[in-house]
Formats: sequence, structure tokens, C-alpha cells
Amino acid sequence: MPTFYLDDNPIEFEPGEKVLAAALRSGFHIPHYCYHPALSIVATCRMCLVDVVDMGNGRPAPKLMTSCSMDPADGMKIETKNEKVKEARELVMEFLLVNHPLDCPICDQAGECTLQDFSFEYGSGSSEMEYSKRVYGWRDIGTFVMLERNRCIHCTRCHRFTTEVTGTHEFGTFNRSHQLTVDTFTDRPMTNKFQGNMADICPVGCITEREFRFKRRAWKLQKTNSICTHCSTGCNITVEQDQNTVFRLKPRENQEVNQWWMCDDGRVSLRQFNNKKNRIMQPMGRVQGTLVKASWEQIYEAIKDKVKQLAVKKDEVVAITDTHASNEELFLLKKLLHDVFSSEHVFFPLRLWAQPDSPNFIDTLITTDKSPNTAGAIALGIKGNEDDSALKQVLSEKTKLAFVLGNPLGKESEIYDLVSKADLIICIGTVLNEWAERADVLLPGSTPVEKEGTFINKNHRVQKINAAVKAPRHAKADWLILQELIQSLGKQSTFQSTSEIFNSLATTLETFQGLTFEDVGDLGCSLPAT
Amino acid sequence: MLQETLVLFKNVRKPGYKGNLASYKAEGGYSALKKALKMTPEEIVSIVKESNVRGRGGAGFPTGLKWSFMAKNTGKPSYLIVNADEGEPGTFKDREIMLKDPHMFLEGYMIGCYALGCHHGYIYVRGEFVPAMKQLQKAIDECYEAGLLGPSMWGSKFPLDMTIHPGAGAYVCGEETALLDSLEGKRGQPRTKPPFPAVAGFNGCPTSVNNVETITAVTSIINDGAEAFKELGTPNNSGTHLVSLSGHVNKPGVYELRMGVSLKDIIYDLGGGIKNGKKLKGVIPGGSSTPVLLPEEIDIPYDFDSLMKVKSMMGSSAIMVFDEDTDVVKLLHRMVRFYNHESCGQCTPCREGTHWSSMILRDFVYKQGSAAKLDRLKRVSGNILGATLCALGDACAMPILSFIEKYPEEFRAYFADA
Ligand SMILES: Cc1cc2nc3c(=O)[nH]c(=O)nc-3n(C[C@H](O)[C@H](O)[C@H](O)COP(=O)(O)O)c2cc1C
Ligand code: SF4
Ligand code: SF4
Ligand code: SF4
Ligand code: FES
Repeated sequence: MPTFYLDDNPIEFEPGEKVLAAALRSGFHIPHYCYHPALSIVATCRMCLVDVVDMGNGRPAPKLMTSCSMDPADGMKIETKNEKVKEARELVMEFLLVNHPLDCPICDQAGECTLQDFSFEYGSGSSEMEYSKRVYGWRDIGTFVMLERNRCIHCTRCHRFTTEVTGTHEFGTFNRSHQLTVDTFTDRPMTNKFQGNMADICPVGCITEREFRFKRRAWKLQKTNSICTHCSTGCNITVEQDQNTVFRLKPRENQEVNQWWMCDDGRVSLRQFNNKKNRIMQPMGRVQGTLVKASWEQIYEAIKDKVKQLAVKKDEVVAITDTHASNEELFLLKKLLHDVFSSEHVFFPLRLWAQPDSPNFIDTLITTDKSPNTAGAIALGIKGNEDDSALKQVLSEKTKLAFVLGNPLGKESEIYDLVSKADLIICIGTVLNEWAERADVLLPGSTPVEKEGTFINKNHRVQKINAAVKAPRHAKADWLILQELIQSLGKQSTFQSTSEIFNSLATTLETFQGLTFEDVGDLGCSLPAT
Repeated sequence: MLQETLVLFKNVRKPGYKGNLASYKAEGGYSALKKALKMTPEEIVSIVKESNVRGRGGAGFPTGLKWSFMAKNTGKPSYLIVNADEGEPGTFKDREIMLKDPHMFLEGYMIGCYALGCHHGYIYVRGEFVPAMKQLQKAIDECYEAGLLGPSMWGSKFPLDMTIHPGAGAYVCGEETALLDSLEGKRGQPRTKPPFPAVAGFNGCPTSVNNVETITAVTSIINDGAEAFKELGTPNNSGTHLVSLSGHVNKPGVYELRMGVSLKDIIYDLGGGIKNGKKLKGVIPGGSSTPVLLPEEIDIPYDFDSLMKVKSMMGSSAIMVFDEDTDVVKLLHRMVRFYNHESCGQCTPCREGTHWSSMILRDFVYKQGSAAKLDRLKRVSGNILGATLCALGDACAMPILSFIEKYPEEFRAYFADA
């Protein structure tokens, strides 16, 4: 492979790859603003200037070159740390700050701003600019983001995003010279469903997320790798929290899944995680028609007694789950019915789903399946069909005991009424949903940001969520609740962790053959069988 | 006494010459095209290469070499696009050709298109040049009528169409890649290179952009041969070129000269010396972006290489002369405001630096200058130099630096404490 040298470090490159891209791939950092791997190269910020001391033919380049746009050559020698380069960066920094308001104290970007970072690292720390600065004023440009144009450094990433990534063309570059600015056309609001990404790729605080605006300083946030559970794509994200409140979800690069992006609906799905009002905070049991709080011990004891009293037989039990349940939870739910009741009546509502057929990759992220684990339910052999006929069939016989995991099929469904006839309804969930009205027992589970688990996305990729915040004091991880139910109903289950459950299910089930929890890792992995 | 050498202007200078197809043909016009159609495209490119003609748009890049870079067998159309944006202050020669002898230009253009396999030519004309566009369109219409253009160029198997595209007044659209963006209907901004236009230019196809005068010279190169063209100039600076002479001279205008005649003679012989018997203060030798020369520096041959030697440039061969009464600080301020206004704004040093420079210069004009501000101006413009995406940034910085270097006293006179 041809090789060039960056400060004497050999870097092999593929023909067509630019110097900056190859350097970043190899773990070397060259400061840059306008370059973004997802976007076309414009080479306008001039921050990535490097000194080519040998173009590969023994001769130096006549002037500093922008590494983002430069093709490397075999044997090329590039310096990024010499005086010439240092000075050039200082100058670009100075020019960028000439008209920048530097209102970091009230800027949401502060703490994760490359303008701050590079000023600190490469700037001279002073400016001789003594004229009044350019002022544009902020603009309300849409449903999801704000535009504070004074802070713009004109990298045009936002503009290129709407032309090249979403193809929605709502954003443009206007005026010329020092009056250059970015904006939407004729005051129209933005409409694309991916605006949050513009806040992500904007290197400064010019485009910021409304949802996050003024809520928390960026440096206070603790980040946990996870995936978005808002649809069956499972965009890789970081869950960012402070003091047990989730403040934002940000996409995490995964070329196999979401590239650099996520949709706006996924971002605001965090609202449900912070919802304390509707949350089931403690186990509850129905006593003479009303739900009363109980301890876990009391509730398990009561369940045990009631099940015994009902003398539930194989065909008198059913479990219904939604597809927000993780593979591990589904596995234990099946185990519960199988081990305790020798029953295989575990159902979920299978629904056809679709995603836009679009030339723009980003559009295909949004699917109509707003749950993360339909493919997991299928892989685990949970029963489901589109018209729920199999489930109806089972429910048409006498059902004494029903387990409901999450919120499958609401009040308006026939199933809801059929299940309601059961003598004992045990619901595991996080919020007081419609099932709570009929539940005899409510067990407080955990939200996706409070627990660990694996899901299988629409493309048969196994991915992992991780606990970013603590669940309320009396809530438990759903898998643990299921295991404790098994135990209190007299059967053995001794898993210590989700990873143990995953490894166990992966050895039992054909589809998962050979996969371990470790294999799934932070970026997930494809199911071996597919 | 310096005389014009008439090649491109051989018809223009004839009394009574009308510039229409009939009069052009009466002077032997379209004989070069006839000749060219008997050659292979490769032969034409090699003759142009042999002639050593260098681009008249400003950069002086050898045209034959540029043409030979055109990507071949790409399966895409090739384009030869003419840059008639003529925006560099002080330059007004392309307009003369289009107005007075459009067919000589069109003939060269047809030859070029044939040589590069271009079947649709676009002429990007400065929007303000309305009479020139009319004249040019008339000439194009005549060619269509006479069968010179259309489905089979002059009876050959080569179809060729030509379209005039008016610019909208942006100087930066004269930069060839900005011109292409503008022609494609986008915001006119220079593109980063690579890819070079010869690989991916107009609509992503192999493209060469050439100046009107360069293309017109092709007519005479094919007519008279590469050797004859070379003999007209100095080694490495072949041919004649059109010089736009303006400013405080008695006889401003466009003159056709051999490469390498004395700059001093151009001003004093052809230009008739300085107006009103005033003393010369300075000469901007190649359009407003080129470093200024002092009166004692102008006794040099006027060609690309000789001007490089005195650290200036011949650019678009536009000589601007100014006399002793000229306030160079105000002159510079005006020029910098122009570049500031015309900067497309996409790259950092040009966007911020041209404005900052003009602000500092404004302080001088209002007698608020200082030694510190002068240093700052030097630093700011020095930082634009060589750091920008296109040459517009340099075009602003070079005059600033040269004016400060050559007229330090004049700036000092504008210090607040002077
Ligand atoms: C800011 C800027 C403006 C330019 N304006 C013109 C112009 O008006 N006309 C022109 O022929 N070339 C202009 N050029 C030069 C062109 O980029 C290009 O070099 C030229 O059209 C090539 O033609 P040539 O090889 O025949 O000279 C300009 C360059 C820059 C950087
Ligand atoms: S964009 Fe960055 S440098 Fe500018 S105010 Fe915000 S944090 Fe500060
Ligand atoms: S708004 Fe942000 S992304 Fe857009 S040009 Fe300005 S700095 Fe760049
Ligand atoms: S140098 Fe100026 S005109 Fe040229 S691309 Fe940069 S900002 Fe635009
Ligand atoms: S990253 Fe290279 S010029 Fe902006």
C-alpha cells in the first residue's frame, strides 16, 4: 500500500482518500472545521493547513496545503507541528474570532465547542480587532433547533447537510463576504426530521437543540453508550445525564447502523425516561378493587398464594409482551411459563412495518415499527401474528392467569377485553398505562436508560442498551423481576446478570449460535445465521 | 516610436470594418477553421502547445498544456467554456474583441471546440456588457444561418452549438471554478481543487475554461502557424497581447502589442505620457490585484516573466497609471473595498481579512492611522496571502502589501498625530 508520512509517522492510504481522512482514520488529529466525513469537501475554513515538505518527488509544496482536500502521494512527507503550521493555525483562529461574539458563558456549546478548544490549543490568546463586531441576531428556524448566527463560523456543514444528507434543501448560504450567513429560505421553518444532527455537526453554538437549550452545561453530562429504543433501527447513541436526569440523546457513529445520525423523534424519546409523574414507583396489588402499595416480599408471597389457589393449568395461563422487552426479558418470560406452567403461551402483537424507500440513507432510519425488538421476539420464538388470531384462540378458552409485559395492545383492542376476564393479571412495566386499570398486580420495572439488555434491530443486528441512570428505589430490572417470579413460584433460575442470560440463550437458540455478550460490544454485531 | 503589432486587431484597425460575417470573410475570415477541420484534434492541440500561448485571463497558464490535461475517454461530454467575465478592474480588452470583431473570436472558439471535442460552447459574459453580448449574439446567429454552427459545423460531421450566458455582476464568477458553479445555476463560489476542471468541471465533465483573448489568439495560431506566433514575442512569452491602458495618460485605450515591449514606452509613446504634464507616481501593471511599480521600476519589458522579476505580475495586461496628485491611501482603500465587497466569503482569511483590512484603511482615510495600525494592516493582509482557496484573497493582499512597501510616507501622513 502507498504510504505517506505525517510528522514521521507512516500512514498507509487507499487511493482516493484525502490526507486528513487518512490521518483521522489512523488516530492522528489535525484540527478542522468544514471537513466532515459525511459531507462533500469544500476546504474553506483553512484550519487544516499542513506543510508538505516533500510531495513525494523530493520537492516541497509551494505553500501550505489544506489536508482535507489534498491527495496524498507515496512517500509524501507532511509536517503539522512546525512553526509555519502553528502560525497559520493561529492566524485562522484569529480570523475566525474577529467577528465571533465569544458569549461562551451563555452558549450551550461551551464545553464541547471546537472553536473554544482550538482557540485554547492553537490560538494566540489575543486579538487586535478593535471594531464593532458583525451582528445578526438569533432566528427561530423550526421545530427542533435554534439559529444564533452571530456565532457562526461559516463552515457550511449545515447547508451541506440539508443538500447532501437529507436532500431537503431548506438551508442555504446567503450574502457574501463578511456578511455571509446561513439561514432557511424566505423565513420558512425547517421541516426535516433530522434537525438535531445539524446541532451535532455545527462545530459551534450557532445551531443548538431546543430540547437541550439552557438546561445543563455540557461538561456536567455523563455519557453512556446505548442505542435508541424509539424504533426498530436502533441508532447507536450516548445517553447523557446529570444527577440521574437524562438531558439528551446524541447519535454515536456506527457505519453499519445509523452512520452519524439519528432522528429528532428518537432524541425527544428521552422525555418518557424522565417522566416521574406516571411512573410505577412500588409494587402494588389490588385489594378489594383498589391498588395498594406492597413490598416485593409481600407481593411475591401473594402471587404465590393466589396461583396456588387458582390451580392454574397449562392451558389457563398466557403471557403477552410488547417488543420493548429485551431478548433477556423475553427469554425469562418464556422460561417462566415453561418451567412453572409447562406452557408455551407467550405472545406479542406482530405488526407489518415499513421504512421509506429513499435515495437518502438518512430517511431509511425511520421505520413504522416504533419498538426496538420485533426481530428479537421473532428470534426468541415468541408467538405472534398480524391479526393476533393465535392469541385470540388461546384466550377464547378459560384463562386464569395473564402476565403482561410493558404495554402490548391498548384498550381499544379485543385482546384487552379478553385478557381482562382472567382471574389474575400481573403487569410488569414502568408507567401506569391502560393495563394498570385491570391489573391485579403491578410490578415496577425499568426504562431502557436504567437497565442493560440486548435487542435485535430490523436488519438482524444484535445491539445493547446500558444503564445510564438509576431506576427509582423500589423499581427493579425487568429480567430480575421475572427471575424472582420464577423463584417464588417454586422453580430454579439463578442468573446473575443480563450477560449470563444472553450467553445462555445464545447457546440454546439456533439463531444465536456462537455469539457471546462480549461479541455484541458497543457497536453490536450481526446475527450469525443471517 | 512604439507601434502596435496587429494580429488580433488586424481587422479592428481597418477603417470601415464592420465586424459582421461578410466583412470578416472578405478579410479572409474562417480560413483557419477550414484549415483546422482538415487536421485531427490532436494536431490542433499540439500546434497550440507548440505556439506556447499563455492564458490571457490573468494566470498566464500555457493553453496547450491546459488542453492536453483534458481527461479523455470518460464517456462524458467535454467542454470548452469561454471566460468573458472580464471583471478585473482596469481590464477592458475582451469587450473590444466581442464588440468589434466577434467572428475572429468565434472562429478560434470553433477550432477549440473541435480540438477538445466540445459540442456545446458556453460563453460566460459579464452581465454589464449588454452591447457586447448583442454583438456576439448577432455574430452567432449569422454563423447558424451560414451553417458554420449547428448540426454540422461548416459541413463537417461535427455538431456545435453556442450559448451566451450573462453573469450577474459578481467579480468572483470570473474565477474559473466559480464561473462553472454559476453556469450550473448554483451560487458562484470557487471550488476546491482537486478535482481540476480538466477532470471534473462543468456538470462534472472534463472542461477547459479560457479567456476570450486566448481563444481569439488560437485563430491566428492556426492561420499563421505556431512559429509565426512565437516570433511575435519573447521566448516563453509568445505572441501579441491586448493591453488595456488607463488612468492618467493622454491616450488611454486598448493596444495590441508584442510581448516584451518596454512598459515605459507603452505609457509614454502609445499612451502619450501623463495627462496635463504631471509627474508619474506609480503604475499598476496587470489589473488592480497586481503589486504596484514606482516610476523608476517601469523601464522593463512588458511580459509575464519580466514582471515576475520585479515581484509584480502582468495579470490581464491592464496597465493603470496614476499621477503625482493621486492619494494612494484613498486609492488603496477603494481597491480593498472592492475586493472585500466581491469576496464570496466562504474561506476564513478572505472573508474576515478583506473586511478587517478595509476597516483599518478607513481609519487612515479618516486620519486615524497609527504605526500600530499600519503594522496590523500588514499583518492581516500578510495572513490572507497564500492562505485562501482562490486567488481573490491574494488579489486583495498583494496591492496592500506593495502600496505600504512603496509609499510608506503617504501612510504616515494619515497618522492621527501627523
Ligand atoms: C478572482 C478571480 C477573478 C477572475 N476573473 C477573470 C475574468 O474576469 N476573466 C478571465 O478571463 N479570467 C479571470 N480569472 C482567471 C480565471 O480563473 C482563469 O484562470 C482564466 O479564465 C483561464 O483562462 P486562460 O487560461 O485563457 O487565461 C479570474 C481569476 C480570479 C482568481
Ligand atoms: S460557539 Fe463556542 S466559542 Fe462561541 S460562544 Fe459558543 S462556546 Fe464560546
Ligand atoms: S451554522 Fe454551524 S454548521 Fe452552519 S455554517 Fe455556521 S458554524 Fe457551520
Ligand atoms: S479567497 Fe475569497 S473569493 Fe476566493 S474562495 Fe475564498 S472567500 Fe471566496
Ligand atoms: S477542514 Fe480543511 S479547509 Fe476546512
